[in-house]
Amino acid sequence: MPTILIADDSETILLLMRTRLELAGYEVETAVDGQEVTERVDPNATDGPDLLLLDAMMPRKSGIDALRELRAAGLETPALIVSAHQTPDDADAPADLEISGYVTKPIDFDLLLGAVAELTEKKAA
Amino acid sequence: VLTAVTVIGVGRLIVQRQDYENSIERSYQREIAARVQLAEGTRPAAARATISREEANRAHLRDQISGDTRDTVILVGCGLIAGLLGALLLFVGLITAMRRPLEALVAAAGRLAGGDRSARVEVGGVSEVATLGKAFNDMATELELEASERDQLDRMKDEFVLTASHELRSPLTSVQGFAELLMMERDSLTPRQVETVEIILDNCRHLVRLLNDLLDLARSDAGRLQVRPQPTELGPLVEDVVRSMRAQTDGTEQTLTERIDPNLPLVNVEADRIRQILVNLVTNAHEYSPERASIQVRARVADNGVEINVTDNGPGIPPAQLEHIFERFVRGDAGLTQRVGGTGLGLAISRSLVELHGGTITADSAVGRGSTFTIALPTAGPDAVEAAPVASPAIGQGGA
Repeated sequence: MPTILIADDSETILLLMRTRLELAGYEVETAVDGQEVTERVDPNATDGPDLLLLDAMMPRKSGIDALRELRAAGLETPALIVSAHQTPDDADAPADLEISGYVTKPIDFDLLLGAVAELTEKKAA
Repeated sequence: VLTAVTVIGVGRLIVQRQDYENSIERSYQREIAARVQLAEGTRPAAARATISREEANRAHLRDQISGDTRDTVILVGCGLIAGLLGALLLFVGLITAMRRPLEALVAAAGRLAGGDRSARVEVGGVSEVATLGKAFNDMATELELEASERDQLDRMKDEFVLTASHELRSPLTSVQGFAELLMMERDSLTPRQVETVEIILDNCRHLVRLLNDLLDLARSDAGRLQVRPQPTELGPLVEDVVRSMRAQTDGTEQTLTERIDPNLPLVNVEADRIRQILVNLVTNAHEYSPERASIQVRARVADNGVEINVTDNGPGIPPAQLEHIFERFVRGDAGLTQRVGGTGLGLAISRSLVELHGGTITADSAVGRGSTFTIALPTAGPDAVEAAPVASPAIGQGGA
């Protein structure tokens, strides 16, 4: 069963995403900011999460900054960035950072679950 | 100077005249006395000499007075001419001294009116002109201050709208997300509960639309609304919009059809934005038209590109409203329909977006017959032979 690590500073959003992803059959871990993500994810571990779902803007450390650190340390796990912005370039996402896609708020869960399924299957294959 | 020269000249002439007349009179008196002596026969030789001397004396006086008169006339004439020349020189000097600063003032006023808030003049020259220049500079400084305050307020407003529409998205995501969760268990809900949740979801979609519109508008005002045009095939895009809108038009038994010319050239547009505009136009046609109305989306080759018409046979728009239809917060009368749920921003944003693409949007309408909205888009360059993939990198647009 693929594991997904979600990071968002809103408890309700975490609960919502956890519920929807668990209903779809995924195992879900949560973090409240980018700091917790970088502390919890070991870039070289083989038993880490299969997908990261990171909010672009969080206190202490943003999802973008956390991902940048992890990528620099060699992490290859696919990552989706969740943003309240409508278009990706507004999230100040750098072009050189490997991001599998963007999720805009309010979240369209049909589209999100589709993308999650595709990314975790790729990982399994 | 002129007056002095004239007065002195004329005064001198009067004095000389009087001297001359007195001298002539005395000369005549001496001649008369001489002629009496001659008649009486006393000292005839001396009398004759006196007579001829006095005649010569008078001739000399006459010459002198006419010479003096001529001199005076010349003097006065010269004075007049000199005075006029002096006045002329003074006038030219004044004009020259005033012209340059005045011209500078006119130029600066022009720049200020044209939006250059730093336009100032060099204060100097004739004192009145200097005062005017200083007054102009003071006014320009005041204007510059006001304008920069206004700019700052504008920026704050834009920032506020951007931040607000951003911050509102997280709670909205929760409301919509949990309502959707409830709907996933609709079998265990009563019909009344289902209806309630549907109302919540409807309003969430409305809020999303409002937020997206406000965000676009704030971006447009801040000059940050951008499009990323790519060679795009319009046919599939139009079909996609029509397909996505069909659920709504079916609900009111309206006919929604598309008609797409074969061999449409590629257009240079951002597909998501054109989709947004078309959804807006079709939604308007749907919401403002009665049940069983027909709506057609037509894409065809036009003079300089491609035209898309969205036509309905609804109630139409009165000319007075049609004039302002693309302005913000202008909405048509809802009339008999109760479905109208727009923000009054859709067409204003559509126009901004079409114009960012280098296209135009126009509206035609006749009351009682229906309306046609037309967007004209430029074709992609001749070297664009392959359409860019339509898929957007963003997952979920969060409602239209």
